[in-house]
Amino acid sequence: MPNDNTDLTIKTDDLVAGLMITEEMAKQISDQVANQINTGVIVLNANFNIVRWNRFLEVHGGKLSASALGHSIFDVFAELPERWLTRKLSAVLQLNTPSFCSWEQRHHLFELPHTRPITTDSQFMAQNCTFLPIEIDGAVDHICILIEDVTDVCHYQGQLQKTLDELALMSRIDGLTQIYNRRHWQDSLEQEYAKARRHNKALTLIMFDLDHFKLLNDTYGHQGGDKVLIDVSKNVKSLLRVGDVFGRYGGEEFAIVLPETNEKGAMDLAERICQTLAKTPLNFQDKLINISVSLGVSSLNVNDSNYEDLIANADLALYQAKAQGRNQVCLSADNTEEQLQA
Amino acid sequence: MNTFHLTEDQQDCLQELINVAMGQASDQLARYLDTFVYLKVPSIESVNADELTKTLAEQQNTVAVVSQGFFGHEGIRGEALLIYQDEDSERIADLLGYEPDELSKDEQLIDISSILTTTFLNVFASQIDNQMSYNAPKLLPSVQKSISQHLQQMTFSWDMALKVNINYQVTDYSFNCNMILLIPETAMANIKAVIDRILEEF
Repeated sequence: MPNDNTDLTIKTDDLVAGLMITEEMAKQISDQVANQINTGVIVLNANFNIVRWNRFLEVHGGKLSASALGHSIFDVFAELPERWLTRKLSAVLQLNTPSFCSWEQRHHLFELPHTRPITTDSQFMAQNCTFLPIEIDGAVDHICILIEDVTDVCHYQGQLQKTLDELALMSRIDGLTQIYNRRHWQDSLEQEYAKARRHNKALTLIMFDLDHFKLLNDTYGHQGGDKVLIDVSKNVKSLLRVGDVFGRYGGEEFAIVLPETNEKGAMDLAERICQTLAKTPLNFQDKLINISVSLGVSSLNVNDSNYEDLIANADLALYQAKAQGRNQVCLSADNTEEQLQA
Repeated sequence: MNTFHLTEDQQDCLQELINVAMGQASDQLARYLDTFVYLKVPSIESVNADELTKTLAEQQNTVAVVSQGFFGHEGIRGEALLIYQDEDSERIADLLGYEPDELSKDEQLIDISSILTTTFLNVFASQIDNQMSYNAPKLLPSVQKSISQHLQQMTFSWDMALKVNINYQVTDYSFNCNMILLIPETAMANIKAVIDRILEEF
C-alpha cells in the first residue's frame, strides 16, 4: 500500500551516527522552521479560536501571542469579514477540503504592514491565503491558515497592466494631435458601419481638410503647422459628443464618424465646426494665425456596399467644397440625389 | 497503440471509481449546501489533445474557465478545468450560502470550482488509497481566446484528457458545469497501474 509509512523505527546506531533524529529533535526542527519561514501560519479550532501561530504573525501583526492564543480570530483581527470567512472556514471543516483566497480577488484579508512600504503604493501586505483542514486523531476539527506575502507580485502585476494599457492606448492614438490615429479610426468606422447596417440605424461621416496648409507651413515653419494641427484637433474635439469617433486621417486631413446621426445633424455639426474654426485665430509664438477648413459630409445610403463607399463619398464632397472656394461644407452628391428623388 | 489507451475493463473500472466519487462528493455537497442535490451519472470520455482543443475552441458561449492543479502520491497528477457557460453562473453566491455583495462574481466561480474539484478528487483519491494536494484555483483571463492558448502553455505536455460532465441539479437553483481533467501521459500510465491493481484485487 502506498500510504503505509515504511519502517520508521529508529535504530540506535543511526541515531549515534546522526543519520536519524529523535521525535524531540524533529519537534524542535519543526518549531524553528515554522518560526523562520516567511509565511504566516495560524491554527484555529472548530470555534475559530487561535490555538497556535508562528512568529510571522507576531512580528508583522504587532500583536503579542499572549493576547491572541485562545481568542477568536475575529476578535484578534477585527478587520476580517466575519460572515463570509465563517462560511468559508465551515466548508473546510465540513468537506475536509482546502480553500483558497487570492490577492487577485481580495488584495488582503489580514491588515498587515509589508516590507516595501516605500517602493509600492499599497498600504497593506497583498496576500495569498490557504485554508487547510487539519486532522488530529482522526477528527477534522482544526484549520490551518497560511498567509503568503505577495506584495511584490501584486506590485509588478500592477506595473505590467499599466504598461499594457499604455501600449494599447498608444497604438490607437496619433502622437501629435492625441486624437485617434488612422488605423483605429478606420476600425471604428468599420464596426459602426456593421452596427448601423444590422440595426438599420443612421450613420454619417464628416471629413475635413485645412485650407492652404502648405502656405501655413511655408509662412510659420513646420512647428507652426504642427501647432495648427494640435489646436484644430483640440477645438474640434470640444464640439463633439461622447460617441463620435474623431481621428487624423492623414497629413492635414481629419475625419469624424457620427453613429446614429442623420444628415441634418451631421450638416449642422459640420457648419458649426467650419464657423468655429474660421473665427478662432490660433496662437503661435505671439502671432495669431487665421485658419479655415473645408468639409465634406456623407451619410449611409442604400447604394453603399461597404464602409469605404462612405469615405469615398465624403472625400468627393470635400473636394467639391474646396473647388467652390473653401471654408465651407458640402453634402455628398450621392446623398443630395437621394434627397431629390425622395 | 497509444500509451493512454484504456482497455474496456480499465475504462469500466475508472467509470465506476468516478461514479462512486461523484456520489459521495454530491452527498457531502448536499450536506454542506443544506439542500438536495440530484446528480446524473457523470458522462466520462477520454479525449486526446487535438480533439479537446478543437471542441473547446468551438464552444462560443463559454464565459469562464477556472483551472486548478492537483498532485498525489504515485505520480498521479494533472489539472482540472471547470468550464462554465453563459447561463450557469447566475446564482452561485446564493447556492454557496453567501450574500451576493460579500464576494465578486469571479470569486464565486473560483470558490464553487475549488469546492467541486477538491471534494470530488479527495473522494476519488481515497478510493485508490491516495491523497491529493492542490494548487490555488485560478480564473483564466479573457476566456474567448485563452483556452487553447492556456492548453498550449501548460507546465506539462498532456496527451489525454478525461472529460467528466457534471450536472448537479439543486432544488431551486440551476447549476451546470463541465469538469475536464487533463492528465499527462506519465500520470496516465500511473493511473492505469492503479486501476490494474484494483482489478486484480477485485
